[in-house]
Amino acid sequence: MDANTGYLTTTVDTVVNWARSNSLMPMPMGLACCAIEMMAFAGPKYDVARFGSEAMRFSPRQADLMIVAGWCSYKMAHAIRRVWDQMADPKWCIAMGACASSGGMHRCYGVVQGIDNFLPVDVYVPGCPPRPEAVIHALMDIQEKIRNTYTIGQDYARGPERPAPEPMEPTVLSGAGTAVVTPEVLGAVAGG
Amino acid sequence: MAETLQFRFTPVEEARAGPPNMHAKATTAVGDIVEMLREAFPAAIGDVVCYAGEQTVYVDAARIVDVCRFLKEEAGFTYLIDIGGVDRFTETQRFEVYYNLVNVAGGKRMRLKVQLDEARASVPSVMSVFPAANWNERECYDMLGIRFEGHEDLRRMYMPEDFAYHPLRKEFPLLGVPGSLPLPPQVPDGPLTMDPFAAARGSRPVPSYEEPEAGEGLK
Repeated sequence: MDANTGYLTTTVDTVVNWARSNSLMPMPMGLACCAIEMMAFAGPKYDVARFGSEAMRFSPRQADLMIVAGWCSYKMAHAIRRVWDQMADPKWCIAMGACASSGGMHRCYGVVQGIDNFLPVDVYVPGCPPRPEAVIHALMDIQEKIRNTYTIGQDYARGPERPAPEPMEPTVLSGAGTAVVTPEVLGAVAGG
Repeated sequence: MAETLQFRFTPVEEARAGPPNMHAKATTAVGDIVEMLREAFPAAIGDVVCYAGEQTVYVDAARIVDVCRFLKEEAGFTYLIDIGGVDRFTETQRFEVYYNLVNVAGGKRMRLKVQLDEARASVPSVMSVFPAANWNERECYDMLGIRFEGHEDLRRMYMPEDFAYHPLRKEFPLLGVPGSLPLPPQVPDGPLTMDPFAAARGSRPVPSYEEPEAGEGLK
């Protein structure tokens, strides 16, 4: 082989995860005021296009990341679940804001006390509403999660007997680098 | 199956006479309209309460449609702003329905109130006079369980159709009755598959919601 052609070796998982994590198409499930911050997150100032997620998809068939922004009533829960079920695998979910994560201040009969009562949530974003930076951080967490999954290899090459990868440790993204979060690390970040 | 909800009445509290409302407008002074109503319906008009410069006319529930029609056709109150229900929740009095009307040309506002028994929480619908009453009455029915006789389409406005309670009634707990509102299942029924091309291989995932079969609606 001609050495000047140029090639690199990698795994299918790496390529697929790289592609998936940099082309997440969010399904904007905007239910309340958090949706306004979600628009800022997608708009030119915060510019989530840098992360490949600028294409909001209003069809569940084309989306692979659901951002549930705002409080969710019991009546709406069925519609959200239906949209979620229509999204093609693999798919991820962000609970944006206090209301979607826990019911928030809507502690009453009509509001679901956290969308994790009926959806598998990957990332919870605190805030009322969260700033767009927080949503970008959540998106980066989702990207990190995608890059750490082994999908193709587990399905086809190795079979189900391949051991599952180690669960991800929560990490601090600033200051302490990628160190595992411990009280000492947090103290070092706060002190340093 | 609906539980029987327990409750205690709230004590009666008299309205305190305060200083005159400096923000009261001349638009709410409707003494002449009240006199017209008293002449036209001597038996149906009850107390007229003036509070904060605003007059509230208590009307017999059975005659509310006639009073509204009179106000619309004779007194020019052509605009129905709002209908709503109140749960007074005292031993002597339970429900109230209020009607806010506006005379756009004459620049007048007035409020009608109807008092209802707990045992027979029902009032004639004013949809025949004001079609705008449709959704307001549906909301009032949904939240308080007050029936509007003669309403064309008395369905619930906010809560699911099969919900067993009326949430703005005072005996309804703030956090709701557990299990009265179903959520979708957290995981779909049936086995999960790791195969991304399961459908191509003839496997159909069990749906977690009810939907028509593909093409069913197109026949």
